Amino acid sequence: MTSSDVRDILELDSGTTHEFVTKESLMNDGKKKKVKKPEHVTFKRPEGMHRELWGLLWTDNKYIFIDPPPIFPSDSNQGYKQMKAKIGSSRVRPWKWMPFTNPARKDGAVFYHWRKVADEGKDYPFARFNKVVDIPAYSDLEYQQHLHDEGWTRQETDHLFDLCKRFDVRFIVVHDRWDRQRFRQRSVEDLKERYYNVCNTLTKVRAPQGTEPKIKAFDAEHERRRKTQLTKLFERTQEQVCEEEDYLIGELKKIELRKKEREKKTQDLQKLITAADSNMDPRKPERKATKKKFPPQMKFRDGGATPEPGGIKFPDFKQSGVSLRSQRMKLPASIGQKKMKAIEQVLEELGIEFNPMPTEEMVQHFNELRQDIVLLYELKLALASCEYELQMLRLRYDTLNPAKSSSTAASTPLLTPTTEQVGLGSISTPQVPSLTLSLSTPATPAFDDESLLSAPDSPGIIPNLGTIGDEIIEDSSLSGRRRNSDIDVVGTPQRKRKGNMEQMNLIKKMKQQK
Amino acid sequence: MADGQRLKGITIIKPIIYGNIARYFGKKREEDGHTHQWTVYLKPYRNEDMSAYVKKVHFKLHDSYPNPNRVVVKPPYEVTETGWGEFEIIIKIYFNDPNERPVTIYHLLKLFQSETDIMLGKKSLVAEFYDELVFQDPTSMLQQMLSNVRPICVGTYRHETDFDEKRERTLNNIMSAKNKIRYEISELNDRLKQSKESIAKLKMEIAKMEEDDRIDTDVVT
Repeated sequence: MTSSDVRDILELDSGTTHEFVTKESLMNDGKKKKVKKPEHVTFKRPEGMHRELWGLLWTDNKYIFIDPPPIFPSDSNQGYKQMKAKIGSSRVRPWKWMPFTNPARKDGAVFYHWRKVADEGKDYPFARFNKVVDIPAYSDLEYQQHLHDEGWTRQETDHLFDLCKRFDVRFIVVHDRWDRQRFRQRSVEDLKERYYNVCNTLTKVRAPQGTEPKIKAFDAEHERRRKTQLTKLFERTQEQVCEEEDYLIGELKKIELRKKEREKKTQDLQKLITAADSNMDPRKPERKATKKKFPPQMKFRDGGATPEPGGIKFPDFKQSGVSLRSQRMKLPASIGQKKMKAIEQVLEELGIEFNPMPTEEMVQHFNELRQDIVLLYELKLALASCEYELQMLRLRYDTLNPAKSSSTAASTPLLTPTTEQVGLGSISTPQVPSLTLSLSTPATPAFDDESLLSAPDSPGIIPNLGTIGDEIIEDSSLSGRRRNSDIDVVGTPQRKRKGNMEQMNLIKKMKQQK
Repeated sequence: MADGQRLKGITIIKPIIYGNIARYFGKKREEDGHTHQWTVYLKPYRNEDMSAYVKKVHFKLHDSYPNPNRVVVKPPYEVTETGWGEFEIIIKIYFNDPNERPVTIYHLLKLFQSETDIMLGKKSLVAEFYDELVFQDPTSMLQQMLSNVRPICVGTYRHETDFDEKRERTLNNIMSAKNKIRYEISELNDRLKQSKESIAKLKMEIAKMEEDDRIDTDVVT
């Protein structure tokens, strides 16, 4: 609450005694004039305005200076309820009905109007708005020497300049008034082109030696194309508009879908990590005492196929009756072609036949092995998409802050692909460089730090993962370092990159259409 | 009938061997163009008479053979033929217990191999596989039959392939592969976690920077 509020509530109006309008006050006879002190920075509440309303607009707290009220009282002393007419304090200036001429008119017509006596004899004040455009004129000689044009006759050019002069280079009007009887139809762009060409030529010719004349830039071709495009855009039918809208909406949906997919993937990732974690624990005791540990494990497995997260769910054989043991290592059809292939490739690399002797023990371990392979495969996939996301984030980061990019890259070492290499040669992704498993082949790392840094596409900054991926693919196809056993992880980031490109193109298109 | 009652919780395993041997004539036979003689067979892994529980074995040959459905009711369960091409033979095992449905095995008849001795017909080609018949909850009748088997021949019973050695080898392979894969899983998992962390970190930084950006522009406007 302001102090004035308090005063107001207590009706301790110490300020000016309020008066009703009298003739005296209206005429400002000066008797009751009060000497006013200059206003403070704060404004007083207008008379008659409710305290609550004023409080909303104007509070005496500290924000006053930063955040002034949206509405200012134009005269805080003025009553809010009763308007006081206060007309100027000085004597009324006399006006007079007098004649005037407009210099814009050539005929010297005389009109009459009211005007202050003091201004008598001055120029017509609106005359200054009569701007005359300076249209260059050319002589016969100049025309013959410089302005000759195959497409234009002298008469036509003269006509153009005449119209330009008459209509102050308003080309639309010029175009409208074009003499179509005598001359052929010309587009606005044609007229402009000729006009500016002539102007520019004249400026050049007339410019004194050594000085650079100012040239008016007009690209007629560009203008024509622009207008054609606008016309096309304007003349689209309703169906075409709808069609495009549908298309754009479709694309938008696709983009959103992709985004959702990625989000889902990150969620799956957590599951995968949990799966991998749980997978790790039992392995330690298993390493040495594998054989002795079988019986309890077998029970565990026979007791029902435990749904291995991220792995394969092998059918459960509990039904009574005869069956072949080999049936229990059949991969379920639900696993999908890609994973199936992945398993086969890893097995081949490991030198394990696809159908080992189906003893109970063998089936169990073989199935577990393949479950692990699938888990590994999924981890690689996840890592690939992670790296991709990281790359996208880094790009985003760089665009947000190009200056800092190098320092951040240094602080987050994971941004650059590490050369420590894990992984089977077979499930190698471009982002996950891997050693070949088989020891017989010389361990040639897919790339090393140096080749990374010398990636030609990215000077200065750390080469982005995408380009590296591409390079590797190319490189390996040349050198044959990678065998045909690459699982199709490679495709995923590329496909995504493609998706991204689509997105960019779409945005471009939209911009163009604007 | 008590015989038809299934014995819950009992599982009896009967290992079997199936496959074919083949021998090249050394030339193409004039009259029918056949090049190989082959025998497809099904036999027990252990030395025992399968006829105690097996009623008959059906060999379904390629349709181009006269009467392609060959039924063998007593051991040895085998079919010998000549031919020029490989194809899939369907081996169906029927059991004496009417409660059990027949078991089907698919075997790709193998005739050709790159080994020179076999190519020349000096040695016969063997393509045989191990499998196990798993009798889950057999009827008491079948259980009787399964447990009362006599040896099929006197003396040592041997196979062309040393399955014991093969089993040992494959199992070792699988076990070491398993360890290898698990190791890789743990490595990869660590990396994944790491990269997840840096994603989160980067995301946070970007969010912060965007916030800063917003404030910057706010101040400017």
